[in-house]
Amino acid sequence: MKRLPLWGLALFLFFSTIFSYGQKKEHYYNVDKEVTVKGTIKEIKMEPLYKNTSPFLIIILKENKTETIFNVEISPVWFFDHDFHQGEYLVVKGSLYTSEENVQNIIAREVQFSGQTLLLRDKHGFPNWRGGKGQMTRKGKRKRDFS
Amino acid sequence: MMADTLSLSFFQGATDNLFQNMYAESDQLSTFGIYIDKNFSGLSLFTEGNYSYLYKNTNLSYYTQDLGVNTLYTVSEKSAFYFSLAGRGAFYQADYADFNYLSINFFGAFKTYLSQTSIMKSNYSFEYKNFRSSVFDHTSHSLMLSLDKYFQTKTTLKGEIGWGYKNFLHPYLSEEPMDTETNSPSSGGKGKHNPYRGGLNQFIIQTQSKGQGLQVFSLSGLIAQGLGSRIGLQLTGTRQWSLSGKNPFTFIEEFYAVENPSYDRFSWKGFRIGAQLAVLIPWNIQLKLRYTMDNKKFPGIYSSSLEGDSLGILRNDKRRQPEMSIEKNFSKFSVSLSYFYVDNDSNDPLFNWNGHFFSAGIQWNTSCGERK
Repeated sequence: MKRLPLWGLALFLFFSTIFSYGQKKEHYYNVDKEVTVKGTIKEIKMEPLYKNTSPFLIIILKENKTETIFNVEISPVWFFDHDFHQGEYLVVKGSLYTSEENVQNIIAREVQFSGQTLLLRDKHGFPNWRGGKGQMTRKGKRKRDFS
Repeated sequence: MMADTLSLSFFQGATDNLFQNMYAESDQLSTFGIYIDKNFSGLSLFTEGNYSYLYKNTNLSYYTQDLGVNTLYTVSEKSAFYFSLAGRGAFYQADYADFNYLSINFFGAFKTYLSQTSIMKSNYSFEYKNFRSSVFDHTSHSLMLSLDKYFQTKTTLKGEIGWGYKNFLHPYLSEEPMDTETNSPSSGGKGKHNPYRGGLNQFIIQTQSKGQGLQVFSLSGLIAQGLGSRIGLQLTGTRQWSLSGKNPFTFIEEFYAVENPSYDRFSWKGFRIGAQLAVLIPWNIQLKLRYTMDNKKFPGIYSSSLEGDSLGILRNDKRRQPEMSIEKNFSKFSVSLSYFYVDNDSNDPLFNWNGHFFSAGIQWNTSCGERK
């Protein structure tokens, strides 16, 4: 088997660096690091997080007990379906990871607020949201509900 | 090519007033659904099929298929656009075949955080529907603008204005009143659809030139109060005015399970108020209790006696609807139960009715995408 020449390796590393510049390291849902955090929304924003997906809704949450700040990754779609505001109280269940910048992040699996629950992922971390029609539901009352 | 999401659903419904009029008739409905989507670089393709089977009125059973693409585009950290283009086909059994249609719908929306506690949203929707019975062919345009504000008391105030225009493309087939065969009785044995008023149950197209377009304008308000994460209260109200045009049919009615082009949000003026209590009860079951009141008048539609004679008064329906629903989400599927009661008080005696409506459903979701 031919060995990759040294210049080839250097070229590969160079282009890998160029193309990965500006992309965040992708994180996966770790079921062993699930936490539940109760807190208040400090800020809401949209950020591109992953390749080939719509930008994510990110909620900056301050835990009420410890005042720790968490970046909570909600989903790419709920931005339109649910109107979150600064000051709202949420209970978030999800997988915790610490970024390279030492920021505490939670990939949300379940969010509770005002008597409602959003189930964003299954217990293994696979997304529950619909990429298509579920976003801006034209459903209203479903016909099958006899309305 | 593997889908990102696959969702299967089954809903079972039952009612004692399928046709929503004074001659209450019971029936049951089973609906099977499948939904699939696939994402490509921020674009999402989706398709959904639903088959609904009615047990007594089997000739009302139908199938719908949706196919579309949508995308979300962010302008900044606080603002985003959403666009969707979708087509739909609805295919009814023989008795309702005139309601078969193909449609295309464009939906564009914009949402922005004016501040961290205030959101502005607007959207525009265009739809074209082509029916087998061409008198129902129409286009419609809708515009909406809303603004909300969240207060530290956990209270949300929201105001919304809406405008809509629906244009029947050719509702007048001739100078003489003519019947369409739309509502011919079904052959489901007991389940004859609306065989009332001595056979005057067809849609009779108005010959007077009332205009082909219906234009409405609405104002809505909402007050919501959160009590921790487990309780939410909500009060809503909508007032709708008819700006121009009248319904081009001699009478209109709601059909259960059949999307009736004569009865929709463009056909009435009046108001609706509602209250909702949402509670997370033990085992994280979502319980919702709602109460809604409507008062609707239908421009161009005059009430008739049961014999079919015009009473000379504009049709006016007043409706009260208490409702209860529970939903439990499990890791891969969710189950739901709902019940509501409708008491419709109309000055058209045929539409003086009440009914009980039950439904139970299960939806199973699986994601074939990545776990990130």
